[in-house]
Amino acid sequence: MRRLPMPNIREGGVNVTPLIDIVMCLIIFFMLVAKIGITTGAEPMDLPETILGQKIEDLGNTLTLNVHRGQGNQPRVMYLPKNERINREIKLSQNEGGKIHHPLLEVLKAARRTNPRFKVIIRAPKDLGYELIEPILQACAAADLNNINFTTAQVMELRPE
Amino acid sequence: MRFPASRKIHYDSGPNLTPLVDVVMVILIFLMLVGSFGASEHFLVSNLPIKQTGPGRTTPPAGWVADTTLEIRVDPRGAGFEAVAGRIRVTDARQLEEQLRRMLEQFQQAGTPPDKVQVIIGPGKVVRYEHLIRVYESALSAGFTKVAFATSH
Repeated sequence: MRRLPMPNIREGGVNVTPLIDIVMCLIIFFMLVAKIGITTGAEPMDLPETILGQKIEDLGNTLTLNVHRGQGNQPRVMYLPKNERINREIKLSQNEGGKIHHPLLEVLKAARRTNPRFKVIIRAPKDLGYELIEPILQACAAADLNNINFTTAQVMELRPE
Repeated sequence: MRFPASRKIHYDSGPNLTPLVDVVMVILIFLMLVGSFGASEHFLVSNLPIKQTGPGRTTPPAGWVADTTLEIRVDPRGAGFEAVAGRIRVTDARQLEEQLRRMLEQFQQAGTPPDKVQVIIGPGKVVRYEHLIRVYESALSAGFTKVAFATSH
């Protein structure tokens, strides 16, 4: 009986199996953690820190208002209009030809009319005075909104033993 | 010219993984560039109490019964704040939480459940937002469920 020799095994290049393992883990991580396609208009700022807090699942029903200190100690509110990609400033009130308009209130009222689950998210830096946040809360109240959410930075509880 | 090695049998162990690596790398780079991370932020949910007077007044629904209100007055004090609620006067969020917890127990003993108590934080104009959020969190930690802000004093 003729014995067949074993063929020579020739490795063709670098073994990429560990690379694929790591890359697959990274992809799964990014797919789970990253929020893709959700643009809320949230601007980076130094938020107040809290231990308590909730997550909002239906971010599609929200409007994020970024409150900054504007000129003349007035609030400067930035938001992301629908179907746009860049934040715009929205005035609390403005004079157009002698007539006073309330753009923020009008936007909130329109959103409330079309979406009963509409809610507002307020983002403000921690050193802001209440006098700059109060007019926004008043606009929300005037628009008959009763679900207002304050964004805070999540911190872990450290209680002394 | 002939090479003896070319006559030998060669075989690759397994499929060719190069296209897979290419595609996977492209997906990875896409996710890294496009993804945004908001895991370190969360929200304090507030309600706006029904007010029949003042700038934020609303018309109450039919059959509406007003909740018992607990007002916490917050004013700046040095680099911090001072919170006053009834006989409570504290300058620390943890003390405030303990005192509010006791008040909630008193409400419950009197037959008022936490969801029928509306906590209203009444800040001064120049109170820092950070301190208001601390007071807010103290009220939530104490067990109150309805917390809202009032107009400034």
